[in-house]
Amino acid sequence: MMANLFSIFDPSATLSLPMNWMAIFVGLFILPWTFWVSSNRSGKLLGLVTSQLHMEFKTLVGTASSQGHTLIFISLFLFILFNNLMGLAPYVFTASSHLAMTLALAFPLWLSFMLYGWFNHTLHMLAHLVPLGTPGVLMPFMVLIETISNVIRPGTLAVRLAANMIAGHLLLVLLGNQGPSMTFSLLSVLLVTQILLLTLESAVAVIQSYVFAVLATLYSSEVV
Amino acid sequence: MLSRVALKPVRSAIQPLRMTQTSATSNAAAAATSESSERDLVNFPRPVRQEFPAKVRMGFIPDDWFQFFYSKTGVTGPYTFGLGLATYLCSKEIYIMEHEFYTGLSIAIMGIYAVKKLGPATAKFLDAEVAKSDAALNSGRDVSIDQAKSKIVSEKAEQERALAQKMLFDAKRENVALQLEAAYREQLIKVFTETKKRLDYQVEVQNVQRNLEQRHVVDWVLRNVRAAVTPEQEKATLSQCIANIKSLAQQNTARI
Repeated sequence: MMANLFSIFDPSATLSLPMNWMAIFVGLFILPWTFWVSSNRSGKLLGLVTSQLHMEFKTLVGTASSQGHTLIFISLFLFILFNNLMGLAPYVFTASSHLAMTLALAFPLWLSFMLYGWFNHTLHMLAHLVPLGTPGVLMPFMVLIETISNVIRPGTLAVRLAANMIAGHLLLVLLGNQGPSMTFSLLSVLLVTQILLLTLESAVAVIQSYVFAVLATLYSSEVV
Repeated sequence: MLSRVALKPVRSAIQPLRMTQTSATSNAAAAATSESSERDLVNFPRPVRQEFPAKVRMGFIPDDWFQFFYSKTGVTGPYTFGLGLATYLCSKEIYIMEHEFYTGLSIAIMGIYAVKKLGPATAKFLDAEVAKSDAALNSGRDVSIDQAKSKIVSEKAEQERALAQKMLFDAKRENVALQLEAAYREQLIKVFTETKKRLDYQVEVQNVQRNLEQRHVVDWVLRNVRAAVTPEQEKATLSQCIANIKSLAQQNTARI
């Protein structure tokens, strides 16, 4: 029974343990088993996606990239992707729609970049606060604005992902709730609409995970 | 995943056995079941890589489960069980068809459509990619094999060339034999002509000698005869001749 619309996101707690967070590990079941040197189809697909992402992230970081620089961001992408896509399936808990998880991903990343940058390349970071070509009059305000934008970065990263997931799920639930009270003929309209919405949601899932990973890459490249 | 553990004995009876090892190594492995001292290959056989995914019914239910139930319930057993279970859950409202159900229905429709439409193309593409990476892995071995094969071919060509050399030797030998034969014949003729020349000379010498002797004898006889002819004989012969001529002349005038 739904108390309010947002109760679908409530983490269910059985045995006084929040077992719903185990949904995060569903992605592990999809990772390919690599017993053999020669890969199978899904393993090859994952390999293609990974290598493509690696190429993209390497170009984003540019000349500052070192060996293995892109690894954490690729795994971040795959982790968030699996969580988003699995959340679309019925009865699976969408972990990435909770700020608890997204902030737990974004905040340590951002904090580590900031600490590293400010302690090791202080001048470089201070220089970033004033973009190229600002008129002299505006410089103080630019510093303020850039500081604020820097500080809210973890917030934006986390909230962007969580809000997109919440919005999508909310729409699906609203539509689905009309299902039991519908005639069979109207059901086809409902299903068509839901299919369209699900297509959109899958695209959003992929894009949001990509955006998260790309922004993290960019923040890391700024600092190096 | 757990079904594989549960149904292990059934699975081993219908193992798909398309191997990616070469037939040589697999034959060697099969032949070495009793010979391998390091590992017990009877109880712990080497795992074989599946070429294709396991068979499934209705897209996601492993075929092994149906085979497992076949002996007890026949062909329709699992389907009846599934339908019955679903009906029971829905009618008793143990499973309530609320918003998640319709979402699941939409996802099922999307999934079936995607698999039917895009499945074969994706599988073909991915198979091609896997084949590419397999070829890259095997390339060292394959390149070496090709090189060895081409070496064999060129070696055979060299052997043929050497055989041709042998023919050349025979030809040369024949040539030399012909030349020897020709030289021999030439010398034979030379010997013949020389011998004939000498014999002819001897014959000529004999002929000349005989001619000389003959002429000498004739001259001697004539000389002696002329010497022996006395004047009386000469007169008598002459008168005889005249008498003969006269008689002849008389005969001739008588005839005319």
